[in-house]
Amino acid sequence: MRKYLLAAGFSAMLAVSAAHADTVKIGLLGGQTGGLASLDQPLLHGAELAVEEINAKGGVDGKQLELISRDTRSDTGETAVMANEMVGLQVNFLVTPCDGDTTIAAGQAGQAAGIVTISGCASPPILAGNVGDYLFLNATPDNIQATALAEFAEKQGYKTALTLISPDSPYTDKLPQYFATVFEKDGGKVVSTVTYKMGQQDFSVEVSKIRDISPKPDVIVTSAFEPDFPAFIKQLRAAGVDIPVLGADAIDTATTFALGAAAEGVVFATHGFPENGNRLEQFDKRYQAKFGSAPESIFAALGYDLIEIIAATVKGAGGSLDGTALQASLNNIENLEITTGSITYKGMNRVPNRQVALVRVVDGKPQHVEDIIPDASKIPAP
Amino acid sequence: MQVISRYFSRRALLSAVVLAVPLLVLAAATGGAAPATKLVFMNFCFYLIAVLGLNAYSGNTGILSFGHVGFVALAAQISATLTMPPALKASSLPLLPEFLHNSQMGLFGASAVTLVCIALIAAVVAIPICRLNGATATIATLGFLIVVNSVIIGAQGITRGSQAMFGIPALVTVPIAAGFVVVALVLCRLHKDSIPGLFARCGRENEAAAFACGIDVRIARYWAFVFSAIVCGAAGIVLAHSVTVFSARSLFLEMMFAQIVMLVVGGIGSVTGALVGTATITLLTEILRRLENGFHVFGLAVPQIFGLTTIGLSLAILVVLYWRREGLAGTREIEDFLGRISGRKAPAAPMRTPSPTEAVAVPVRRATGALTLVDVSKAYGGLLAVDKVSLTVNPGEVLGLIGPNGSGKTTLLGCIAGTHPVSSGTIRLGGETISGLPAFAVARHGIARTFQTIRLFSRLTVLQNVKAAMAQHRRSAGQRELDGASMDLLREMGIETLAGRAAGTLAYGQQRRLEVARALASEPTFLLLDEPAAGMNEAETADLLATLRRLVTERGIGLIIVDHDMHLIVNLCERIAVLNKGELLKVGKPLDVTRDAAVREAYLGRRSAANV
Repeated sequence: MRKYLLAAGFSAMLAVSAAHADTVKIGLLGGQTGGLASLDQPLLHGAELAVEEINAKGGVDGKQLELISRDTRSDTGETAVMANEMVGLQVNFLVTPCDGDTTIAAGQAGQAAGIVTISGCASPPILAGNVGDYLFLNATPDNIQATALAEFAEKQGYKTALTLISPDSPYTDKLPQYFATVFEKDGGKVVSTVTYKMGQQDFSVEVSKIRDISPKPDVIVTSAFEPDFPAFIKQLRAAGVDIPVLGADAIDTATTFALGAAAEGVVFATHGFPENGNRLEQFDKRYQAKFGSAPESIFAALGYDLIEIIAATVKGAGGSLDGTALQASLNNIENLEITTGSITYKGMNRVPNRQVALVRVVDGKPQHVEDIIPDASKIPAP
Repeated sequence: MQVISRYFSRRALLSAVVLAVPLLVLAAATGGAAPATKLVFMNFCFYLIAVLGLNAYSGNTGILSFGHVGFVALAAQISATLTMPPALKASSLPLLPEFLHNSQMGLFGASAVTLVCIALIAAVVAIPICRLNGATATIATLGFLIVVNSVIIGAQGITRGSQAMFGIPALVTVPIAAGFVVVALVLCRLHKDSIPGLFARCGRENEAAAFACGIDVRIARYWAFVFSAIVCGAAGIVLAHSVTVFSARSLFLEMMFAQIVMLVVGGIGSVTGALVGTATITLLTEILRRLENGFHVFGLAVPQIFGLTTIGLSLAILVVLYWRREGLAGTREIEDFLGRISGRKAPAAPMRTPSPTEAVAVPVRRATGALTLVDVSKAYGGLLAVDKVSLTVNPGEVLGLIGPNGSGKTTLLGCIAGTHPVSSGTIRLGGETISGLPAFAVARHGIARTFQTIRLFSRLTVLQNVKAAMAQHRRSAGQRELDGASMDLLREMGIETLAGRAAGTLAYGQQRRLEVARALASEPTFLLLDEPAAGMNEAETADLLATLRRLVTERGIGLIIVDHDMHLIVNLCERIAVLNKGELLKVGKPLDVTRDAAVREAYLGRRSAANV
């Protein structure tokens, strides 16, 4: 009998599973160090908590979950090597890091071996099509988040919008464009698109462009995040521009709430909102109990979601751990209750439809506006 | 044949082959391994080629480059665009021109086109960069990297912008990757020992001395830059077609650091070092990343600790650099180590002179004639360091240049040698005006010099010091001929037994001799010696005196000697020129000058001069 040791550090040592024929092996590749650590680290912690809890309850249909995690150091070549090693270990599920090229590099190995591969939290919806029919996404895809924002904007009665984009990353580039597609299809109009460079400190040029637009747009939509978003919103409000601003999940951080008056009233889309003893709030408590601190970000809950999705997939495959059976089972998931809300893969081409939470900044605190499950027919193509 | 031999040496080829053998064995062993192991090997090959490329520039010129990852990125981008299937290009690169859309090339065709593109880009980028040195050049290369990154991100449609470039066919296999590595290894090693490579290394060791030998360091840097860019381009091709996905982000600063760390750990100035550094880092990474997943030791279970790889690597780098400041191999190559192990001295240069039947390259022909200074002045702001000096020195004549400290002697030598542009006046050699020419051009006209403080190419061997100056002068001579002639010259100067030693390790007197030998290697018509006897004991001075006398009689060289040693000056010189406060006080025969009242006054002050 081989013990597999799992730890978040010296303090959290725990024997998790006993390997036997009826073990579900999950190979999790994450950038635990390097550029992706802020996303991949909490994701792994959430997944560890899920595996521990599910196994304690007897596993999935009597099968224990075995989590094999590796640090890819956020390097594409290293990720490709480790993905192939996971294939060699005959894992049943392969989880890839949180960005595009590492997901593609690992996904190609999973695709070739016929292993169900899920990106931990990469959100460009185009990824699934880039790799093939074994690659699934977990996080709310950019186009779905954008659809939720568009639905919200329409409900507010906004008719014209301005998008602020940066071509420097797919997230900052594409998300506002997906918004524009849905918004214009429904009769709204994007009057102008302003671009910025990621990491620029001075937004005076962009702000004066926005100020000079006449008539002024009803809303500004952007997926800018730190350090760009705080700089932008402060300079925008300082210039006396009071147009409402809609943002995306990357500004769901403490920084946004610490911005004071500048961020007041900003509404952003995110993966879930903990309140009134809902699953996310319960998760946050159990997480605090296990790791001694509150989750660093919503990505911890996405890690828990991920394992719940895998468990449901195994259950749906009726005892078979064959790649094709698991693939079919995952493609069949519909309205599955997960920690952050609900998720549907059925009919979505491996890019899941998820419940999106909208949050408003009020007095420097998050206030839950509403949850939206976007209308699947409105979601723009990747 | 002679010309080819300036780029080829058997010793360098052998050295590269010795390094290549373990790589080929490793490649053969990887052949039947699991896909992950093959990828590890191909990643290693990629890094090794990239590090070799960086070494070809930074190692030889001594200028650290942050920009070479830019060539890796460009080559990955260009080659992937050429090999991707048209259907995929239509969807992911919609703005590509028509002819690129519809074509799909094989690996070798694409590689050839890519490397030509890289060479052209490098040929343009190198123009400003080769004029710079030190930190300025380094920052310029960083600028290049940032430009490349921005262009790749900004050209979305032609590139994938900030998104991943994917769907590249996996055309690079283990044997192909090994092939790329071996070719890169051989070319880089040959380049290091080639004449252009030697010139670049002279510039690295001492730029002023290289110019004084007539070597245009900028040209040497230019070719080193273009060559190294092509090698880095090959790395980009291997990366794109082995990992089959990359993004602008993954070929940016982090990769630049990885590349530099591997080179620094191995030793910047050595091809062997590039291999050792890359192999060490790769091996350490492979060990550490297995350890970090937890292991058992003496019944104790060590848990999984992420970050161990990164921390372990950083510590290893610190330890290596503490232990060996110049990296594991320093500037030495594999043969230097093998020589030591087998107890023999590293094979020095062939101890032979070309036989009379062998074709001896004809040196550059030069105008001969007197060296004439007409009203030469040099001003620094308001201070006239040299004030309207007019002087003529004939070939075969020995002129002593004396004067109190600060009288402008060294400045005047600098004006003649071209290191100090004259403020007014002209300097002519025979019929040609040489004032206004850069130092290396003056040297090529046949004016050689030594420096007040010795400036040798310290980490090059004694032989290479002389050979570099000679190679510059004898443009069509092959390596063997240059080696032979250099040895002859060393023998003439009585330092032939030191040929294989690094110049910086010689005793002071030997270094002075070597500096004179190097100056003679370009067969000058005039030789400027700035305090050649400074710091020498009496025996050494006498020795030097004899050598200089012989030079004048045997070679008919005109000498201009600056020295405070009046014994040496009076014994050697036919005429003495006295400078005081920049002005030419007196020119004449030694006895006339030493008896001159004005000269005594300048040296000793008015009252003392009267009493002597």
